[in-house]
Amino acid sequence: MIEVSNLSKTFQKDDIEVQVLRDVSLTIREGEFVSIMAPSGMGKSTLLNILGCLDKSTEGTYVLDGFPVHDMDDDELSRTRNEKIGFVFQSFHLLPRMTAWENVILPLVYSDNEFNMKERAVQVLTTVGLADRVDHLPRELSGGQQQRVAIARALVNNPRIILADEPTGNLDSTSGEEVIKIFRELHAGGVTLIVVTHDMEVALQTDRIIQMKDGRISSDLLTASQSEEAPQ
Amino acid sequence: MRILRMSKQALSAMAENKTRTFLMMLGVIIGVATLTVIASAVLGARAEVMSKVEKWGLDQISVMAGAGRKPGVPQTVPTTLKVEDAQAMLSEIANIKDVSPQINRRDFPVKYGSKTSYGVLIAANPNWVSVWSTPPETGRFFHEEDTGKLARVAVIGMTVQKDLFQDEDPIGKQILLGNNPFDVIGVLEARGTAATGVDMDSRVIIPLSTGLKRVFNQDYLFMIKTVLHDSSKMPQTVDDVRGLLRERHNLKPGIEDDFTIVTPTQVMNIASKLSTTFSLFLILVTVISLVVGGIVIANIMFIAVNDRQAEIGIRRAVGARQRDILVQFLIEAVSVAAIGGLLGVVLGLIGLKALSGFMKLPTAIMWQPIVLALLSAIIVGLMAGIQPAKKAANLNPIEALR
Repeated sequence: MIEVSNLSKTFQKDDIEVQVLRDVSLTIREGEFVSIMAPSGMGKSTLLNILGCLDKSTEGTYVLDGFPVHDMDDDELSRTRNEKIGFVFQSFHLLPRMTAWENVILPLVYSDNEFNMKERAVQVLTTVGLADRVDHLPRELSGGQQQRVAIARALVNNPRIILADEPTGNLDSTSGEEVIKIFRELHAGGVTLIVVTHDMEVALQTDRIIQMKDGRISSDLLTASQSEEAPQ
Repeated sequence: MRILRMSKQALSAMAENKTRTFLMMLGVIIGVATLTVIASAVLGARAEVMSKVEKWGLDQISVMAGAGRKPGVPQTVPTTLKVEDAQAMLSEIANIKDVSPQINRRDFPVKYGSKTSYGVLIAANPNWVSVWSTPPETGRFFHEEDTGKLARVAVIGMTVQKDLFQDEDPIGKQILLGNNPFDVIGVLEARGTAATGVDMDSRVIIPLSTGLKRVFNQDYLFMIKTVLHDSSKMPQTVDDVRGLLRERHNLKPGIEDDFTIVTPTQVMNIASKLSTTFSLFLILVTVISLVVGGIVIANIMFIAVNDRQAEIGIRRAVGARQRDILVQFLIEAVSVAAIGGLLGVVLGLIGLKALSGFMKLPTAIMWQPIVLALLSAIIVGLMAGIQPAKKAANLNPIEALR
């Protein structure tokens, strides 16, 4: 599903080069539920952005679903994000003036899939337990509900991978647990999930924990919930 | 359709921030409103002039006595234009079909009983009716017979009739022109007000012979109006008339004409010069307000792009390409300008209605200025939107999401 090898990322800040990722190699198979852990500023967001086709690596290769992402131009990256990837952000990133269902259909605006938009939005909102919040504005929803709208948006175009950046970071523990529960359900349904977090409780609910330090992968372990052998 | 879905997104973004959208529109509204008013007023004025000229006759030229007014030179009464000149023009210049030699005197007192009206007294031949295409409405015009015997008969205009007779039937009544009694034999059709503001119905027509001998006691004319066979040969005919009159008046080369030839083109030029100055000024106002409107749109769009970085980032993250963002912001700018343009047209038409009501301005509501106004609004929107839209499209999605 995801094959990353020898990935490096360097940022130019003023006259100083900052290397955020150093020689990262990683394979994630279809249907895995993976967490990436690292202290702040240790490259985990950069890695997520590259895996999410929002950013490109300076060196190395990234093959997603058989396609060489490292060779793609901006249009192809956009199309890949639209068709294969769903994002869930720490601060939800909903459009404040749009209702729940209008937020959910956003990926469909840029898609070639001709869904009946509202019907599809209601369908996905129902799977995250928000069937009765379809016409609510984000500010009329609790944090947990907003994050579930964001998950519905990530799911609406049937992506292969969900990338979540600290999805429980802004939530109380109950709402956070609910989000993780939805993730586990999605995992059970065969969706590949990658969650960036610094919360060990969250990480322990995934099947595999990748820890990073100084831009490198420092450990790659299966959790107790996963009895299978770790890949690679 | 992707473009339809994106247009919907752009339009709802506009609807979400009504104050901002209205502010963006304001400059365009004002610019387009003025443009609509100007274009309609200018076209209206042009149509008015054309109809006046057509009434006056496109196949006619006039010879006025005298070289025309010159600054600093005392105005003397020109006495060289004679009845014989008119006859010579008719007989010697092939393209001239008819001539109407006449004396016009302004502010001439016309009395009936105790009432006095001041009008233009015109002494002319019976063919005045056909040359000026102003037939009598009641009674009759005078004939050659009347001219031959220097008859004291007069045909009056509607205003004179109203001033002197009110509801009385003027036919057969006697009026005084100066101290000469004249019988009223007819009343002319109403002609209204000329472009110059002169009341064309305030006049009295008498036979030329009677006017020369009995009223004015002179042998020179005020003007000769001529009708041409072929109006396309007008420049040639003007030259012929000038040559003939210079010869008859013994004007040596180097001495200027003692008459003035007026053609319909000259009349049109005078009228259009006035409206050109006026419309140049207003076009300047329009251009300035459209440019300002464009700058306002561009600035607010730049601010919007900054304010909406998160939105742009989200849209990019869910799969919007750079050109999707570009198109969305362009659609927003163009829609704002186009809706502003529509509102401007409506406002302009309302203003036009008010103008033509208060100032008696001739106006014409036509589709060309409206299309022009809308088109320029859309162009303003495109020009103003392109830079902010490019900026939005080129935002780094990661930065935008931060």
